[in-house]
Amino acid sequence: MEGFLQALTAGLLIGAVYGLMCVGLGLIFGVMRVINFAHGDFMMLGMYVAFYLFTAAGVQAFFGNAVGPFVAILLAGPALALFGYFVHLTLISHVSGTRTASLEGEGHYAQLILTLGIALILQNGGLIIFGSVLASIRTPLSSSAWELALFSDVSVFINKARGVDAIVSLVIMTLLSLLITHSRIGKSLRAAADNPTAATYMGIDVDRAHRVAFALGCGITAIAGGLLATNYPFHPFVGLEYVIVMYAGVVLGGMGSIIGAFWGGMTIGLVQQMSTLILPTQLQNAAIFVVFLLIIFFRPQGFFGRMVERT
Amino acid sequence: MLRIDGLSAGYSAKPVLNGISINVEAGQFVAIVGPNGAGKTTLFKTISGILQPSGGQIVFGEADLLTVPPAQRAHLGIAHVPEGRQVFPSLTVMENLEMGAMTESGRRDWKQNIERIFEWLPVLAERRGQFAGTLSGGQQQMLAIGRGLASSPKLLMLDEPSMGLAPSTADFIFERLIDIRKQSGLTMLLVEQRVAEALESADHGYVLEAGRVVLEGNNETLRADDRVRKAYLGM
Repeated sequence: MEGFLQALTAGLLIGAVYGLMCVGLGLIFGVMRVINFAHGDFMMLGMYVAFYLFTAAGVQAFFGNAVGPFVAILLAGPALALFGYFVHLTLISHVSGTRTASLEGEGHYAQLILTLGIALILQNGGLIIFGSVLASIRTPLSSSAWELALFSDVSVFINKARGVDAIVSLVIMTLLSLLITHSRIGKSLRAAADNPTAATYMGIDVDRAHRVAFALGCGITAIAGGLLATNYPFHPFVGLEYVIVMYAGVVLGGMGSIIGAFWGGMTIGLVQQMSTLILPTQLQNAAIFVVFLLIIFFRPQGFFGRMVERT
Repeated sequence: MLRIDGLSAGYSAKPVLNGISINVEAGQFVAIVGPNGAGKTTLFKTISGILQPSGGQIVFGEADLLTVPPAQRAHLGIAHVPEGRQVFPSLTVMENLEMGAMTESGRRDWKQNIERIFEWLPVLAERRGQFAGTLSGGQQQMLAIGRGLASSPKLLMLDEPSMGLAPSTADFIFERLIDIRKQSGLTMLLVEQRVAEALESADHGYVLEAGRVVLEGNNETLRADDRVRKAYLGM
């Protein structure tokens, strides 16, 4: 019983961060219909930006060891958003949005090659600049825990760093949902996703909307990456480990659904942690994909996906 | 207000419009009629900038439209109610109308515009919280018209508002359009296959066939023309 509750808690905590990570990718796919294979590597970059902001840029000295990492992680968001903005402006926009009309296969081939290329450059560039030594964002919170007494004899331990990670994820997810559902920019992003041509008739610059979505998606995933880095060491090729989880999460949630991507990520976190109750740890990732296949078998459109193609 | 001069356009090598000239004065209701494939929708897409013309000129007010990026054209005062409605299915009725009001003038006049739109098309007020994708075809068409009106346009371009609708619904939408025009004095450019209705209510008409203007004139001239009577009015 205690083991079950402990695994459930761990799953919910890591699931919230995975959810945020998936939302970044889901936002880009949902609005732009571009499959960004470099997204894991944007996240890797976010981890390193948070790492260097914390250790080298004075955030640690100014905010201390407990709050400092989270300040650095939150700052990595806007930094990667800006980076994503320029990557879209200089590269992605040439093969997506209004330019796809003249491209083979609506630009999907070109997008595939381009984002794979960006992924390779980021991975190997990261190797040259950051080196292959494992890095991690260390905080004393990762080695202490809150004890949550549920019943008189059952209590659950919550790792403080993971607890804060989950809270930060949920706050950002809430802010993003509000932005998407209530703000003028959010509504125009959804309109551009629904029907780019009609959005143009409304005076919405679709390429600009895509750029905003791409920047937002990169920033959000960078923050999720930073949060993961408080518990898991990382290296320049870490993106490969997470990009599969990201895609599984987005597909589970339903391609194109932003809130769905969050629940997809959450599901993966839960399955990953709960599977350790009955399976050896080495089979964690295998368990994820068994459950993934089962869900897709019974609900091919994902949790929030629609069966019919949008008009 | 809108002057189109010798406009040619098409898809890759296949020309659809061959040197079309059309003139819309401020306050006029102009109808463009013609059979399927005459190039009516292509003309609208070229005005909105979705298609690049291969030749000719489009002037709107003082502006040379062909130098204006597509997304900017709505901000000049052109509202395009596209063929097949093209509402945003995952947005609510209200959000669709807000998207219509993305222009500066639309934002400025939002309050009075929305009041008038709800007065003209009350079904939109009833369904304001509903997702546009769940509306019926006729309701979606009304939403597309409302969305166009929400931008406070100088020119409202309507591409086959009767397409795919039950005749009674199409009649109703036509009546609403005529009312809206009477009460607002809005300049309208209408493309329609329902030639009789279109020519009856318009000030001026153009007959488009195979990418050329074959006939033009005010509604009496056109309705009296033998070719129009035979080919379109069934008389």
